[in-house]
Amino acid sequence: MDRDILFERGRRNLSRIGRIITIAAGKGGVGKSVVAASLALTLGERGKNVGLLDLDVHGPSIPDILHARGEIVASKEGLKPLSVHGIKVMSTGMLIGDNPLPTKGEDKRNLISFLVGLTNWGNLDYLIIDLPPGTGDETIWVLRALRGLKNVGVLVVTTPSILAVSVVRRLLSMLEDEKIRVIGIVENMAYFNCEGKVYRPFGRFSEELVRRFKLRVIASLPIDPSLEQTIYDGGLPHRSSEELKSAFYRLCDVVESSWGE
Amino acid sequence: MHEWTLAEAIVESLNSFVEQNGRKKVLEVEILYGEMMELDTDILSYAIEELVKGTVLEGAKFSLKEEKALFKCNACGATWDFETAHKMLSHEFGILEEPSGARESPLHFIPDLAQALLKCPRCGSRDFEAISGKGIRVARMVLGR
Ligand SMILES: Nc1ncnc2c1ncn2[C@@H]1O[C@H](COP(=O)(O)OP(=O)(O)OP(=O)(O)O)[C@@H](O)[C@H]1O
Ligand SMILES: [Mg+2]
Ligand SMILES: [Zn+2]
Repeated sequence: MDRDILFERGRRNLSRIGRIITIAAGKGGVGKSVVAASLALTLGERGKNVGLLDLDVHGPSIPDILHARGEIVASKEGLKPLSVHGIKVMSTGMLIGDNPLPTKGEDKRNLISFLVGLTNWGNLDYLIIDLPPGTGDETIWVLRALRGLKNVGVLVVTTPSILAVSVVRRLLSMLEDEKIRVIGIVENMAYFNCEGKVYRPFGRFSEELVRRFKLRVIASLPIDPSLEQTIYDGGLPHRSSEELKSAFYRLCDVVESSWGE
Repeated sequence: MHEWTLAEAIVESLNSFVEQNGRKKVLEVEILYGEMMELDTDILSYAIEELVKGTVLEGAKFSLKEEKALFKCNACGATWDFETAHKMLSHEFGILEEPSGARESPLHFIPDLAQALLKCPRCGSRDFEAISGKGIRVARMVLGR
């Protein structure tokens, strides 16, 4: 008998959650984690029960972005995610701090099965999953766990850059093959305002790609020069500027209505 | 206390397996668990016993066997056991157990964190394998008619 008990448990835990939004990008450093955290915080402020699962096991940045410090508590019901700023957070960052974690393949997928299988989220309307770049073990784990579940959508985060196009194309064809619903494209670091004029240093995201996969760019987020300082000072990313804040509100509107009632 | 969560995972998995295969009875189940999990088998047995009540697993004989942990360094070739590993575990990171108040290493909950929490005792590298003694699985099951 060859059953993966913890994986099954993890999948069952996920199937009980209202809606699951996976943040994927293909490319590194495009703002996945900032978008994941901001979306989770904004949904939380709108009265939803929200969990944020950081599956970037080698470079977890969610604890840094949210200033989520503290140890995880375990009870008979499993591991309790850390409650911060009105949302629940689970990350390997809270288990191993800044220690390196050189692991791969099956070991890494087992790590995630244990993490997700043992975490007790309680009642959640939304779970946001932050992934590392690429299509490695973390992404494979998520694809396997979410396959066939109805409560799932993916947000693809990218910059408009020409260099992101081929990476995003690969990601989108993989999601298409796996029959996982893509909610839409989030174009991050799309523009900035200078003395009333709008600049788009990376251009616009490929219309060809949007048409090919029948998608929509559902949000264009500005480059916010104060974002790093906000996080450094202990502030939260979704409130870094008025413009960013309202952009995340609009993004939440689109995301929430994308499920239809 | 995550024995309860693990027991639930085992029982749910076995129940769905037996039902999918259209069987009505299970005679024996052998569970193999890794030494790194440091499970309290009394609690695990009790939890399983409670959770199988009213399911097709009720009445099955459960046996729990520990698999010894073994580590092997990819850098220098050294091998070591769990006793050696345990002594090296830093107390910098922990998970607080409720209601006992005990503080346990995250390794005990998630054995695959080994490379973050341990180093090779000979050369200090984290490039090692935990060859055995990590997970939990059903090693054997005898179904009835
Ligand atoms: N809209 C924005 N305006 C300004 N800076 C931004 C914006 N979005 C993200 N950043 C900054 O870009 C950097 C990368 O962001 P983030 O860590 O969220 O990217 P990521 O895609 O998660 O990276 P990784 O691939 O390493 O996981 C961070 O320093 C972040 O503060
Ligand atoms: Mg990230
Ligand atoms: Zn060594």
